[in-house]
Amino acid sequence: MNDKLKSLKYIYKREEKEMKKKIIATLLTAAMMVSTLAGCGNTDSSTSTSNDVQSTTQEEAPAADDTADDTAPAAAEDTAASGEAVTIKLFSNLPDRKNGQGLVEQMIIDEYMAANSNVTIEVEALDEEAYKTKFKAYAMDGMPDVVSIWGQPSFLDEVLDAGVLAELNEADYADYGFIAGSLEGFKKDGKLYGLPRNTDIQIIYYNQKMFDDNGWAVPATYDELMSVCSDIKAAGYTPIAMDGGDGWPMACFLTDILVKVAGTDYADIVRNAIATGDFSAPELQEATQILVDSAAAGMFQVGYDSQDYGTAMNLFTNGQAAMFCMGSWECSMALNEDIQEDIRNNIRAFTLPVVDGGKGGANDIAAWNGGGYAVSASSAVKDEAVKFLNYMYQPDKLSKYGWENGVGMSAQDQTAYLTGNETDLQKQVMDILKNATSVSGTPINDCGPSAFKTSIESEIQGVSNGSTSVEDFLAAIGAACE
Amino acid sequence: MKKLYSNKLVIFSLVLPGVLVFLFAVLAPICLSVYYGFTDYTGMGEAHLIGWDNYVKLFQDSAFGRSLKNSLLLAIGFICIQHPIAIVVAAVLDKLQGRAEGIFRCIYFIPNVISVAVIAYLWKFIYNPDFGLLNNVLSAFGYQGKINWLSQQNAIWSVLIVLIWHGFGWGMLIYYTGIKNIDPVLYEAASIDGASWWTTFFRITLPLMKPVIQINVTMAIISALKQMETVYLLTNGGPNNSTQFAANYLYQQAFKAFKYGYGNAIGVVFIIICILVTVALNNIFRDKQEA
Repeated sequence: MNDKLKSLKYIYKREEKEMKKKIIATLLTAAMMVSTLAGCGNTDSSTSTSNDVQSTTQEEAPAADDTADDTAPAAAEDTAASGEAVTIKLFSNLPDRKNGQGLVEQMIIDEYMAANSNVTIEVEALDEEAYKTKFKAYAMDGMPDVVSIWGQPSFLDEVLDAGVLAELNEADYADYGFIAGSLEGFKKDGKLYGLPRNTDIQIIYYNQKMFDDNGWAVPATYDELMSVCSDIKAAGYTPIAMDGGDGWPMACFLTDILVKVAGTDYADIVRNAIATGDFSAPELQEATQILVDSAAAGMFQVGYDSQDYGTAMNLFTNGQAAMFCMGSWECSMALNEDIQEDIRNNIRAFTLPVVDGGKGGANDIAAWNGGGYAVSASSAVKDEAVKFLNYMYQPDKLSKYGWENGVGMSAQDQTAYLTGNETDLQKQVMDILKNATSVSGTPINDCGPSAFKTSIESEIQGVSNGSTSVEDFLAAIGAACE
Repeated sequence: MKKLYSNKLVIFSLVLPGVLVFLFAVLAPICLSVYYGFTDYTGMGEAHLIGWDNYVKLFQDSAFGRSLKNSLLLAIGFICIQHPIAIVVAAVLDKLQGRAEGIFRCIYFIPNVISVAVIAYLWKFIYNPDFGLLNNVLSAFGYQGKINWLSQQNAIWSVLIVLIWHGFGWGMLIYYTGIKNIDPVLYEAASIDGASWWTTFFRITLPLMKPVIQINVTMAIISALKQMETVYLLTNGGPNNSTQFAANYLYQQAFKAFKYGYGNAIGVVFIIICILVTVALNNIFRDKQEA
């Protein structure tokens, strides 16, 4: 028995040694596999990057056949054909080049290249978040020539401090029909650094057919909105589809409530709060409380605070939600053939109804000029880049094509381009802006430094779902303003 | 040959590439991180030295505390849930023999082969309260309510389940290889002595697997600390930082909030925590080995 035990112990020890060797071998193999996989990963990502860069060369231009017809006459005025070859790099936040705003941008690029055969415009397009990250990397070692920007402190302050954007001559744009005040967000110390592309309005889209079929009425006051929401919920639908996972759409909604509570004082209240870090103003408390109460009453879908843009929008476009809270850029839903016809044709919009006792009237709306373009200060072809920028902003380009493609309102006067064939949704949104007695300007999350933006977009999830109190929420976003 | 290996120049040239990679790909970035951790750098423009401000803020930052707590929870989840199951499954697989062994080994490893992005979206759909699989299954059993699996209170557990499920195959495979390497003579001897399956498992398999377990546990803890991709894609740390992890928080602060200096301070603290944990684990395991 003793011998057996000894031999067992011996085998046991030998086993342990052997095992160690084998483990090391296994681990080395694993490490090798991981590094091989990492290698594959790298190749993948580099391919995808090169895919993102859609080199829109002259040869490819005819491929965009739906724009070819429009571009033909422009090609005739080929003035700069004899000039030396120029390549302008455009860095854009519109990766979808076949629909909406991205299509409009691409149409203008194709036209410009047809009219100036010496110019090649290379587009690199990324989604907003990836765009902003890469923008920063570019800021460190050389920007592309023309870039998308946002005329809001949360984005532009740091960018202008770093001095990466070229100054533009404001006088050049006197005849471009920019809406009064729309350039303000793009200025620093009175100097202009970029141009706005859109006018964005915060609206609530609703499914008119669903409303009519169920006898629901478009609410005129916030209390009516709450009661319509509870009717909709009782009928088994989601009242308002909300993209709460991203934070910013809810911050825009809070902006809208605040505009209805504070009226034209909105901008001053927000500016003061951000400057002092003190968000205890009664209007801010009231607006936040309304948001909290609305969410608690089930105004949004279950799990709204973890769902993304696409999921929220799908609830609405599939007919599972009666309303969808988003900006006017989604007006193109009415032209999107991926959406069922009976839903697509019945999308209508209203602005947030008035709050009982609030200073804001029905026509005091939350709207702003956010996205736009600028030219890099370090661009080697700055003059050409500015020329292209100015071309894009000729009133019959961004404004006209944008309108025709239903992407919403530009920051320029569009009245000359009304065709009479606008969708009902477009007309409604146009009327909302036309009838506006005041316009809020930048939404609250974009009014402060980017640290404030990150903070409020995360904290707003906590306060709306009830896990943070209103006071703690206001204190937390105040602390992020330092 | 021996002469060649004792030639200083040969030694130098063989060691050099490794040393260079270490210097420029590991050490230099860490040093730069330490430097930027003391600045208010936004990622653009100029950096100003601000002393220990970032670190003072970091230790008061509840989101960072939350992310460390979540890493700890995940590590505990790995060690207490994922690994015990993985060992038992590996032992059972070993006993299965034949074709079934191969099939089940494959099945258990499948989640590891699928891309993280696909996994994250798959689970996003499974957890969706309106059209997700989980709530639909529940309603088939008669439950009428909509459970919000990714709510502020539930989200961290839902995320942990995904992570534990996703990493399961890898842990199991290493245990499985370990078990395969145990000399069958031991089992024969045990069965001659009339030992039951459980006795064999606890007296032979488990003790012999000690080195494998040590390595697996170390790797699990490191992967819990490093967790980023799945969380980024599944919840991005939300709602309100309830599923935040250090690496994801670092990314958000450095690249979304334009607080590059602060992000680097998080990086530095993170490196220190990782080193401390590794040293502590080595010590724990060394003590046990000597005992």
